[in-house]
Amino acid sequence: MNFFIKKLLIVIPTLYIAWTVVFVTLNIIPGDPVNLMLGGRPASDEVRENVRKNLGLDKPVFERYTSFLINATKGDLGKSYLTRQPVTTMIKENMMPTIELSIGGLIFGVFFGVFFGIFAGTKPNSMRDTFSMIIALCGISLPSFWIGMMLIYIFGTTLGWVPIVGEGFVSLILPSITVGLFFAGGMARLTRSSLVDVLNQDYIRTARSKGISKYRIVLRHSLRNAMIPPVTLLGIQFGLLITGAVITEEVFARPGLGQLLLQAILAKDIPLVQALVVYMTAVYIFLNLIVDFTYGIIDPRIRLERNRG
Amino acid sequence: MVEILNVSNLSTAFQSDYGSKQALKNISFKINEGEVLALVGESGSGKTVTSLSIMGLLPNNAYIQEGNINLIDKKNNQVNILKLTDDKHNLIRGNDISMVFQEPMTCLNPTMTIGDQIVEVILNHKKISKTKAVKEMIDLLGLVEIPDPTQRAREYPHQLSGGMRQRVMISIALACTPKLIIADEPTSALDVTIQAQLLQLLMKLKNSIVSKTSILFITHDLGIVRELADRVIVMYHGEIVEEGQVKEVFDNPKHSYTRNLIQSLPEFKLEERKLTKKDDNKQTKVDDNEIILKIENLFKEFPVEKGFFKESNETVKAVQNISLNVKKNEVLGLVGESGSGKSTLGKSIIKLLQPSRGQIYFNNENISEYSNKQMIKIRQKMQMIFQDPFASLNPRKNILDTLIEPILVHNLMKKNEAINYIKEIINDVGLPIESLRRFPHEFSGGQRQRIGIARALVLKPEFIVADEPVSALDVSIQAQVLNLLEKLKKTYNLTMIFISHDLSVIEFFCDKVAVMYLGHIVEIAPVSKLFNSPKHSYTRALLSAVPKVKGKNKEKILIKGDIPSPINPPSGCVFRTRCPNPGIDCKGGNIEMGLIEVEPGHWVDQCCVNCN
Repeated sequence: MNFFIKKLLIVIPTLYIAWTVVFVTLNIIPGDPVNLMLGGRPASDEVRENVRKNLGLDKPVFERYTSFLINATKGDLGKSYLTRQPVTTMIKENMMPTIELSIGGLIFGVFFGVFFGIFAGTKPNSMRDTFSMIIALCGISLPSFWIGMMLIYIFGTTLGWVPIVGEGFVSLILPSITVGLFFAGGMARLTRSSLVDVLNQDYIRTARSKGISKYRIVLRHSLRNAMIPPVTLLGIQFGLLITGAVITEEVFARPGLGQLLLQAILAKDIPLVQALVVYMTAVYIFLNLIVDFTYGIIDPRIRLERNRG
Repeated sequence: MVEILNVSNLSTAFQSDYGSKQALKNISFKINEGEVLALVGESGSGKTVTSLSIMGLLPNNAYIQEGNINLIDKKNNQVNILKLTDDKHNLIRGNDISMVFQEPMTCLNPTMTIGDQIVEVILNHKKISKTKAVKEMIDLLGLVEIPDPTQRAREYPHQLSGGMRQRVMISIALACTPKLIIADEPTSALDVTIQAQLLQLLMKLKNSIVSKTSILFITHDLGIVRELADRVIVMYHGEIVEEGQVKEVFDNPKHSYTRNLIQSLPEFKLEERKLTKKDDNKQTKVDDNEIILKIENLFKEFPVEKGFFKESNETVKAVQNISLNVKKNEVLGLVGESGSGKSTLGKSIIKLLQPSRGQIYFNNENISEYSNKQMIKIRQKMQMIFQDPFASLNPRKNILDTLIEPILVHNLMKKNEAINYIKEIINDVGLPIESLRRFPHEFSGGQRQRIGIARALVLKPEFIVADEPVSALDVSIQAQVLNLLEKLKKTYNLTMIFISHDLSVIEFFCDKVAVMYLGHIVEIAPVSKLFNSPKHSYTRALLSAVPKVKGKNKEKILIKGDIPSPINPPSGCVFRTRCPNPGIDCKGGNIEMGLIEVEPGHWVDQCCVNCN
């Protein structure tokens, strides 16, 4: 377990760096949050000064930076410039739809990715291999806003199979596919190549020499050994869930963290952007921790190394 | 004699982008019930393709052109294996015919416990309950003499040593009491002492519980054939060149290839040398007075990786307190099993690894503390020949670039001078001048090793460490390379340390031998003394473990178990845990390691001197 404690210790400096980068960038890029708040309406210097003071923008940059840090350690991530609400509340309110979308996308992506990966990898250089890989390539290369709009057009408007807006499970289908397709593409390609590799291993020959059926060879002997690279990719791609959410939520007009982030950036709402970035970084790290944990379940040799370490 | 398998007119070919290549040319043979048939040949002779054809496990790019393989299965039906669908073949694989593969390290599924892997084959062919299958599995593990089977069944392959894993493979092969077991080089990847254990186990099983099972034993090792097999088939380039009773074939080989194969064995070449009485002046005179290399109390320890934050206090004790001298023009052999530290010692001597403690004197110059920069000059005089000639040559450099680089680095010659010089050397190692423009992948294993030798020679070194230079090569190629080394030793006036696990090669090539075990030298003596009157129990066991073609098979001295971990070696004498006849003091670990001179020039570890 030592291994995971070490991993957790790395979280703190990572979050700190993420925080700092966001703070610095948002302070460098031009544009005054006060102007943005006023929305271009004319206002006297006095009003501006007041707003500035209220938001704490009158203090020097360095002091703002340190006070954010100090407050953050107390669990207070500040208040939004725009709504004057605590940012944590805003994040909480918008969290659920994004989580739903991410899980939906993940399930869709992993399922289809692994499926097409096996479909292609068990018979490399065949028709079905080529077919699966073309689909996977489409998944990776087609931009998700385009896919989203096409899905809406075909399944929502023309065929009318699924509602485009609304709540509940059904409305989650198209957005999940949009987010998941990108995942599925990468997963499929990596599962394929990894499976092709594993199927050439000596222990697969041993398994065949036992007279085991080919289904059992793929499912029992190969898949688990082949899963390490795809699972690694999954960890890396978790970040895409977030960017995916930003675009997908916009296309499907869903509420969620992606929308919130987009608005916060446009409004230069520094505390909200910061909180969102830190939150997303934390989720990303946490999910990757789960990935690390999964390695140990997949491969007993990795478990051994950790127990030693 | 009941015939259980009949292979007739079998031809197999490989399809590649460059056309098809025939691997088996119309071979026919049969296997009788209960016999051990050996299939011998060098790499590429088609031994493995034969076995995979029988198993139906040929790779995708291989196909059977014609032929029949008829098997009498367990129900006494005759089946033509080649006519079976894959599903039908699955009923035979693992049930009527099973297989033990060469690489114990990679042949078991790393993500399944060994118990599961054995139970799987039982459940696949027998209609019994899971609990019953588990019971059978535990019994099988006991049969192949794996200690503590219930515990071991729950472990994963990586937790087992190579020898143990191969035992697991054997138990998988035995699980359904097949008609035929194909053993494809089952012991080639293992150390001789472990090999001896396994071969003994195999014969014990063969003579007891599976006496009706036939074994098709594929090997390149003629010694094993002599010890185990009833009949032998010699293969060459996909054809059977000779077939017959083992004794007949070995004593009176009919085919010239078989004769050649037998005669290129080091043990035969040794005999030949004795017969022609070249023995006395076989080497250039060893200069007794001039000591080129002197090592005093050398240690090399590697820290065990412990992770990011914690410094480790455990070390792998690879080389322990080694002192030795190498005289001018002498060849010192270092022999030992894997993990004995012989390669580490070799690398530490020429400081490819920095020794942990101890002194190295080269031409009376203490180089042990020299920095890499100071070593550059010394390295001109000390070179190394590596085991794997392919991996040690840069695949993107042609041979000329590889060979010329050290000369230019050391600024020894101008470029055009150097090219002429390299042409001489490439000629000396027996390669055509045209090879200079070619790349490593265009050569065969033997040729690559010649390049490796040429690379070591270009700087005109006085001293060479050769680390298993011929172990990756086939017997006949091995003989050629050894001859070449012997010749070059004379022309270039070389002093050598020759590292090998193969005792017969050592006996053929070296003047003096040091036997290593767990980082220690346990015995060091002139070749003839060591091989004729070994004093240390380990040396004796090692010598008796080697299967010999010639002479009677003496009673083997088997040593039990595996080499202990070099992280926690046994206290006192490191060999005491496996010693066949330990004394009381020795068992308690009360005797420290240390060499004693029993005769002039013959040093033995004191523990064994006291015990015997």
